[in-house]
Amino acid sequence: MAEERLRVDALVVGGGIAGMQASLDLADQGYHVALVEREPSIGGKMIALSKVFPTLDCCSCITTPKMSAVAHHENIHLFTYTEVKTIEPNGGSYLVHCVEKPRYVDTGLCTGCRQCEYACPIDLPDPFQMGLSAHRAIRVPFSTAVPQKAVLDIDHCLLCGKCEKACPVDAIDFTQGPQDLVIEARAIVLATGYETTPRDAKAEYGAGKLSNVIDGLMMERLLAPTGPYLHVLRPSDGKEPDSIAYVQCAGSRDETLGVSYCSRVCCMYAIKQAMLLSGALPMADITIYYMDIRTFGKGYEQFYQNARAMGIEFVKAKVGRITEDEYRNPIVRVEIMEEASRVEERKHDLVVLSVGMLPAYDPRPLYGVPIAEDGFVEAACPNIAPPMTAQPGVFAAGTATGPMDIVDSIVMAGAAAAEAAAYLERHDGEAKTYAGRSISMGEKEAIHA
Amino acid sequence: MPEKKPKPETPATFARLPKEAPRLGVYICYCGGNISDVVDCERVAKVLGEQPDVIVARTNMSMCSDAGQAMIEEDIREHKLNRVVIGACSPFLHEQTFRGTVSRAGLNPYYYHHVGIREQDSWVTHDDPEGATAKAIRLMNAGLAKARHLEPLEPIRLEAKKHALVIGGGVAGLRAALDIAERGLKVTLIEKTPFLGGHMAQLESVFPTDEEARPALHELIEKVVHHPKVTIYTSTVIVATKGCVGDFQVQLRPVARGVRGVAPGIQAAIEACPVEVPDEFNYGLTRRKAIYFRYPGCHPPTAAIDWEHCTLCGECAKVNPKDIRLEREMTTFQITVGAIVIATGFQPYEPRPGEYGYGEYPEVVTLPQFIRIMAMAEDAGELMWNGHPVRQVAMIHCVGSRQVPGVHEPQPDGKVNDYCSRVCCTATLQATADLRRRFPQIRIFDLYEDIRTYGRGHEEYYRQASLSGVRFLRFHTEQGPVVIADPTGEHPLVVKVNDYLTWGEELEVPADLVVLAVGMMPGPIEDLIDVLKLSPGNDRFLLEVHPKLRPVETAVTGIVLAGTAQSPMNIQESCAAAEAAASKVAGLLSQGLVELEPFVAHVDLGRCTGTGACVDACQYEGAIQLETRVIDGKEVQRAVISPAICVGCGVCVSACPNRAIDVQGWTLAQYEAMVAAIAAEIPALVEVEA
Amino acid sequence: MGSERKPPQTKVLILASLSGGYRGADSVGQLHTDYPSNTYILPVISAAIFPESFYLNSFEQGIDAILVMFSGTDSPFKGSAEKTAEIINHAYALMKERGIDTRRLRLVAICTVCTAAFLREIHRMEALLEEIGPVSAELSASPAPEPEPQPA
Repeated sequence: MAEERLRVDALVVGGGIAGMQASLDLADQGYHVALVEREPSIGGKMIALSKVFPTLDCCSCITTPKMSAVAHHENIHLFTYTEVKTIEPNGGSYLVHCVEKPRYVDTGLCTGCRQCEYACPIDLPDPFQMGLSAHRAIRVPFSTAVPQKAVLDIDHCLLCGKCEKACPVDAIDFTQGPQDLVIEARAIVLATGYETTPRDAKAEYGAGKLSNVIDGLMMERLLAPTGPYLHVLRPSDGKEPDSIAYVQCAGSRDETLGVSYCSRVCCMYAIKQAMLLSGALPMADITIYYMDIRTFGKGYEQFYQNARAMGIEFVKAKVGRITEDEYRNPIVRVEIMEEASRVEERKHDLVVLSVGMLPAYDPRPLYGVPIAEDGFVEAACPNIAPPMTAQPGVFAAGTATGPMDIVDSIVMAGAAAAEAAAYLERHDGEAKTYAGRSISMGEKEAIHA
Repeated sequence: MPEKKPKPETPATFARLPKEAPRLGVYICYCGGNISDVVDCERVAKVLGEQPDVIVARTNMSMCSDAGQAMIEEDIREHKLNRVVIGACSPFLHEQTFRGTVSRAGLNPYYYHHVGIREQDSWVTHDDPEGATAKAIRLMNAGLAKARHLEPLEPIRLEAKKHALVIGGGVAGLRAALDIAERGLKVTLIEKTPFLGGHMAQLESVFPTDEEARPALHELIEKVVHHPKVTIYTSTVIVATKGCVGDFQVQLRPVARGVRGVAPGIQAAIEACPVEVPDEFNYGLTRRKAIYFRYPGCHPPTAAIDWEHCTLCGECAKVNPKDIRLEREMTTFQITVGAIVIATGFQPYEPRPGEYGYGEYPEVVTLPQFIRIMAMAEDAGELMWNGHPVRQVAMIHCVGSRQVPGVHEPQPDGKVNDYCSRVCCTATLQATADLRRRFPQIRIFDLYEDIRTYGRGHEEYYRQASLSGVRFLRFHTEQGPVVIADPTGEHPLVVKVNDYLTWGEELEVPADLVVLAVGMMPGPIEDLIDVLKLSPGNDRFLLEVHPKLRPVETAVTGIVLAGTAQSPMNIQESCAAAEAAASKVAGLLSQGLVELEPFVAHVDLGRCTGTGACVDACQYEGAIQLETRVIDGKEVQRAVISPAICVGCGVCVSACPNRAIDVQGWTLAQYEAMVAAIAAEIPALVEVEA
Repeated sequence: MGSERKPPQTKVLILASLSGGYRGADSVGQLHTDYPSNTYILPVISAAIFPESFYLNSFEQGIDAILVMFSGTDSPFKGSAEKTAEIINHAYALMKERGIDTRRLRLVAICTVCTAAFLREIHRMEALLEEIGPVSAELSASPAPEPEPQPA
C-alpha cells in the first residue's frame, strides 16, 4: 500500500488544551499544522472537568469552542486515535511516522448517532467518568467528543455483531487495521500533558483500596453536569456525603513519592471543588487539610478568601494516614499545625486526595528532548524562552513542561507557537510547504464538532 | 430633537428584503434513519414543497455525503436557487460543510440556513412521530421564513499594517518585540525612560536557574537592538491614538536624551554635574547625578539627562560641548501600526510610612532594596548596614499583598491589595539563599503566612532554607508582625510576631535588618489607560478579555498584554506571556489582512433619527458613534458602526426606538418572520396534528 | 382530513444563545431524553437584541410561552446579560398591561451541558401551560389593544 504523506509546517503532539491552543495560534498565522492525538477525541484532561477556577465558568463551555475551532480550521489537519511511532530527521525537517489505530468504524460514514452503543451488550468502566460509571465496548467517547465518531474496544468485544446490525449507515468494519501515516513537519510542538498521581500511590492513604477515598479528577466528574450520577454521591453506598475532607499535597511536595515539587493546581482545584460542593450539598461540612495554601494566580487569592468566608474550613495539618471504619467511613489521622499542635483522628464521609501532576510522556527516545530531574521536559533557556528545548525545531507547551493550570498552559501554548513560528521563519530555506495531498478535505469532512 | 426623516414607504419588516425574488431549495436529511426513523421526512418535504417560493424540496439518506452535497449544488445551478434551507443534525456539526456546498455552486454562503432537527427533534421525540414530524415542519417552515429575509454577507476585511507597537522596554516588551520581528513584522518599541531592561536589570540572578540576570537580559537586548525589523525609541511616550485593529494611528512624543553617542569623556561631564538625586536603580539607597548612566553596561550605552532634576546649569556641557545639548523638547511624530502590545510592567509596592517600621527605621528595607544591598556588598567578612554588622535578619512576607480590608490600611485609591503577588515568596527565599551562602553566620528568620514556592525548582529554595537553619515563623493576617526599636538596645529592632507553627504565642525576634517582601503593583499608566481606552481590573492590573479563552487580549481588538502589566509574574512567566502576545499579534497581522465575521450591527440610515440610544447602550467603546451628516441641506446626527470594533452583541438593536439597527445575519425581521411561521396554522399540518 | 380537531396545541418558543442554551439543547439530544414536541428552539447570538415588544408580539401571534435561555454571566458579550434581564422586566410590565400571565415568559441561564436544567425548565413550563392553557384565552379575555404604532 502506498504510504500516505502529509507535509506541514508544524506537528503538534497532543490534543489537550495546550496542543489545541498551539495549533490554533500557528494556524491563525497561516502555517499548516498537523495535530496528532492518541485518544479518540481531542479535549484532553480539560474537557472532563466540571467548572474552572477562578471564574467558575462551565468547563465544557470554554473547551468545546476550542475543539470546534481546531476541527474546522482550514490550516489544521487533525488526526485522532493516532500515535507517533518513529521520527527521523530529514534535512531541516522531520519525518514523523504515525499509526492511526483502528476504530473499527468507518469515520467517513459514522454520524455519531450511537445506535451501536445502545445495541452493544458489553459494559466497561468509562475512563471519561474516571471509572465511576460504565460505557459500552463501542461508543462515542463522550457527548462533546470531537470527532463525534464511535470507537470500538476490540479487546472487550464479543464480536456479537449487534452494533453492525444496529448501525444505520453500515459504518462498522471489523476488518479495519492500523493505518500508517507519514507527516513531514519542519517544527514540532510537544503538548503531551500530564497524568495525576495514581490513587494507590500512597500506602498510608489506603493504597487506592478505600472506596470513599477518591481523587480530584473523580470529584470533577461527580460535580460535572454530565457526571456519572448527576449528584455528588460517595462510591461505596451512594450516600450523599455530609462531611467531606480534602487532603492537599497528596502526591506533591512528597519526597517519599520522589515528587519534591509543588503541582501548582491542587490548592485551587480543591478550593473550587469545595465551593461547588457547598452549592451542591449546602448542609455538608467541608474541610481542607493543607501545608501552605498556594493561590498565586490572578484572582486566586480573592477566590480563596471567598471560600473561607463561605465557611469552608481550612486546617493547616499533615495527614499521616487514612483508614476506614466498618461503615467504610474514612478516618483521617492528622497532625494539626495550628496553635496547639496535636494529632487527631477525624471521621469524614468522603475524602478527596488532591493528587498532583506527573509527566505523562518521556520525549527522550523519540524526540531526543531531554527531561529534568522531575521528569518534565527540560527547557533549554527556561527564563527567556520557556518553550524552547535542546532539540532544534522542537518546542514544548503546557504541562509537558511542568505542572501548570489552564491559564498558564494556554499562555505557554501561545509562547510555543511564537517560538515555532520564529523558527519556521528563520529556517525558511524552501518555499512554504502546504498540504501535499487531499487528506485535508477527507479528514475535515469526517470531523463533527 | 433631531431632525425626523419622512416615513419610509415599506413597513419595517420588509425594509431590507432583497429585490431578487427568493427561489428556495429545501433539503431534509434522513441521517441514515436518525431523523427519518421518527420524523416522516417525505411528508416534511411534501408540505414544505407547497410553501410559497419553494422551487425544490428533497430528502436524502445522508445530506452531508458527497452525493447529497452534489445534489444540492446541481439544484442551485439548474433551478437557479438563491436560498437554501437544510434540515439535518445540529448546525454545529455541518453548518460549515453546507456553507461550502452552496458557495461551491456560486451562491453567497450566507444564503443558507441550517435547521437542527436531529438533536432538537428526532432524538428527543422518539415516542411521538406525529409530533416530531409536525415540529420538523414548523421548524423548517420557520427556516424558510428566515431564508426569505437572508442577505448576502461578506466577511469584514480590514487591511492590516504589518507593523506592531510595543510599549515598554523591560524583559516582556523586549521578548514580544523580538518574537514579532522574527515573524517578519515591523516592530516599533517605545520605552518611557532613557534606558532599556526594566526591573530585570536590577536583579543579580534569576530564579529558578540562578543564572546572572544582566547577561541574559543583555543577550536579549542585543538581539532586539540589532534586528533589522525593530526600531526603538527610548524616552518616548504615547500621547494619542486613533483607529482600530490593523490601523492604529499613534502619536508618539519623544524627549531628547541630551547626550549624543558614546560621548568620550562623558564620565568627567557626569562628575561635573552638581545635582544629586536618589538613584532609582538602587531604589534610593544611593545617589546619582542629573546626567547619568542607569548602570555600567546599560543599554543604550549613552548617558542621558534627567530633565526632572537637571537645573540646566550647563556644567556638563562645558566638559563635553560637542555631545551634550541641553534642549529637552522634541516634536511629536506619528506611526501607523496594526496592533499594540502593552508591556508596561510593574512597580514594587511602596510601604506606607510606618508600615512595619518602614521609613521610621533605616534598618527596615524592601526586598528589591535588599537585593541591591547584597549586590553592592563585599563578600568578605561581615554584611554591614547602617554602620552595624548584620547578625540577624527578619524577612516579612506579603507586604502589600494579600491585604484584608479592616486589617490593612487602604491605599490612596481606597482599595487594599487583596491579591497575591506570586513572585515574592520565591524571590525572598532566593535572596535568603544568597545571604546564607555569602554570610553563613547571619541568623535568618522568615515570617510568612503561606510559602508559595509553586514553580518548577522553586520548592528547592524552600527546602534548602529549611535545611540551612532558616527559622520559619507563621503569622496570621489578623495578627501581623510588629516592628519596634529594640528596648534592650542590643539590636536596632525587634519584630514581635505570634507564631502559629508553635502555639500562637508571641515571640520577639531581634533584628539588625528587616526585609519587607513587597508585592507588585502595576506601573503608573493612568495616561495610557486613558489614551488606549483600556480596562483595569479591581486589582488595578490590566484586564484580559477572558482568562482562558483570550488570556492576553484586551477588550480592544488588536491591543494585547505582555507581562506584569496584566498581573504579577516572574521573568519566565513574563516571557511566556510576551511570546503568547506576539503569537496573537502575528495571527492578526501576518496575512496583512484582518478578517472578521460579518455578524456586526448595521444601521438603516433611512430609519435612523440620531437619538443616540444605541451609543448609550453599547458596551464597546467606539463600536457605534453619532456622526453629523447633511441630509436635504440640513445637518443631522446619524449612527455609524465601526465593524472592526462591533462584536455583534445586539444590545443596540433592542435599544433603538426606530428599529434602525440590526445585527447582520440575525435581524429582528428574520426572527419575527420565524415566530410568525411557528405560530401560523399550516393547513397541511392540520392533518398531521389531528 | 380529520373533521375533529384537537384543542389547539400550545407552542413554546425557546430563544437559546449559541454559546449556551442552544448547545445545551444539543446535549439533551445526545442523551436521547424525550421532551414534548411543541417546543421550538431558535438560536440567537444574544437575546439582548429583542426589544420588549418582540415578546408581546410573539404572544399576540399565538406563542403560548417563551423560554429565553441565555448564557447569563458566561455570556461572551459585555453587559448583554444585564441588558437582557432588564428588557425581560420591561416585557413583564407590557404583559401585565395586556393581561398575559407573566409566568409565560422566563429567563434562565443554560450552559452547554446543563441538560438537567434544560429539561427542568421545559417540564416546568409545560406543567404551567397545562394549568393555565393557551395564551389565546387571556388575549381574548382582555380588551384588544390599540394597534402597535409603527415606528417612524
